[in-house]
Amino acid sequence: MKAVEVVVLIILILALALLITVGFEHIMPSTAVRPLAEFYLYATYNPYKLREYTVMSPEAVTAIVWDFRGLDTLFETSVFYLALIAGLALTRRLLSERVEKPGHGLSLIVKTVTRITAPMIIVVGASIALHGHLTPGGGFQGGSVIAVLPMVIIVVFSVSFLIMRGFTTSKMIIMRSLGLFGIGLTAIALFLVSLIQGTYAYVFQNMIKPDAQTSMPIDIAGALISGTLWFFNLFEMFAVAAGFSIAFIVLMLVRTLQVEER
Amino acid sequence: MEIINTYLLSVVLASLLANFVISLYAIFFKPHYIKKIIALTIFSDTANTFAIFIGYRRWINQNPSKVPVLTDLNPRAVEEFAKLAVDPLPQALVLTAIVIGLAVTLFLVFLGWILYSHYKTLDMREIRRLRG
Amino acid sequence: MLSGETGVYILMAVVSLISTLAVYMAVVEKDLVKAVIYSALQSGLYTILYFLLLAPDIGLVYIPVAVGLIPGVLLILISKTERWEKE
Repeated sequence: MKAVEVVVLIILILALALLITVGFEHIMPSTAVRPLAEFYLYATYNPYKLREYTVMSPEAVTAIVWDFRGLDTLFETSVFYLALIAGLALTRRLLSERVEKPGHGLSLIVKTVTRITAPMIIVVGASIALHGHLTPGGGFQGGSVIAVLPMVIIVVFSVSFLIMRGFTTSKMIIMRSLGLFGIGLTAIALFLVSLIQGTYAYVFQNMIKPDAQTSMPIDIAGALISGTLWFFNLFEMFAVAAGFSIAFIVLMLVRTLQVEER
Repeated sequence: MEIINTYLLSVVLASLLANFVISLYAIFFKPHYIKKIIALTIFSDTANTFAIFIGYRRWINQNPSKVPVLTDLNPRAVEEFAKLAVDPLPQALVLTAIVIGLAVTLFLVFLGWILYSHYKTLDMREIRRLRG
Repeated sequence: MLSGETGVYILMAVVSLISTLAVYMAVVEKDLVKAVIYSALQSGLYTILYFLLLAPDIGLVYIPVAVGLIPGVLLILISKTERWEKE
């Protein structure tokens, strides 16, 4: 087997050298970006010249993720949901029915420090998520930071501690479904409002467009919220944090198949 | 000075390509299932880093390039921002790609558990011998 | 005489070279717990590279996911299955 491995390695290196020589000027960064990127940077906060194409959010990446290319993010959220449901369906009949008494966990110092830092983790994650339209951040970032907390609690205390406090798999599935329902509702909110009023609006609409003149509120009492971006970030934070908690709890609770069930 | 900057960026590019080659080799030729999962995450992360590397912008006349976040809100700052900032489009696409890679890795870990509870081993050569 | 741009590029080059070393050690190692720790070290170095390439959004996603959640899930799986990779 050693000769085959050496031949495969040499072929990989030769192919990559060919790639480098053919595409070198296109791969190395230069002092100009592509024209599409210049348009996105120019139109992300521009109520002066481009009032009918702008998003009114100073953060270019969040504006692209939830407004300019919002359909990509919607389907990526559903792909994540499908992977979680597939994992749950595979291990459905292997979950332990009853919860045994809680294990020892780690020492007292670690438990006390975890009790102190747990609210801090939630506050930092929520701050990153809810300021996603003004500073770098957003729904995924905040949800992932909050999802570190169930894993730390499972390691320091035990899984039974988490379940006896009420964070069962069913409640986390309900929270995740509420998050996804909120995202879907925000996406078609302006469409329903304009159906009632009798005017015309698109399905994923955020600000006014050349031929559809309804718009979400730009700010509330002087604080910028950029229309649907704030609501999307809030619901995405709940959905991501609940989804990861389900994965951890199920992975800790599976038991082995008995011999006669095979 | 130009050639030193180009050389340093080529060093970054060459080490990313070396990561590609080593992780691809490990996916094919290492027999344990968990080692394959580790190599697959390294491979997808290197592909995402490559995409962000393409979207970088070099400095113009000693002015440093900027993060794609607007800080002042007046018309002149918006014009300068469009000429100095880094490309935001690969960053948005890589955000989606990281979450999808994470979902696939979670599903592979569940599948690994099912495999272990059927065959009592995670060595792929043993499983190929035992199948059927 | 060293301009600021060259300093940033030197830092990027050093971080990428160390990350290639970490990938090689993760692939060759036979103890799977150590391989997961080397992979988390490589992810930390990639996060520094993302901040030097002016992409703080990606760095903020990458740190909890690749340094905290993925090694955590892999370590739970290792503790329920086997730990050593045979020859």
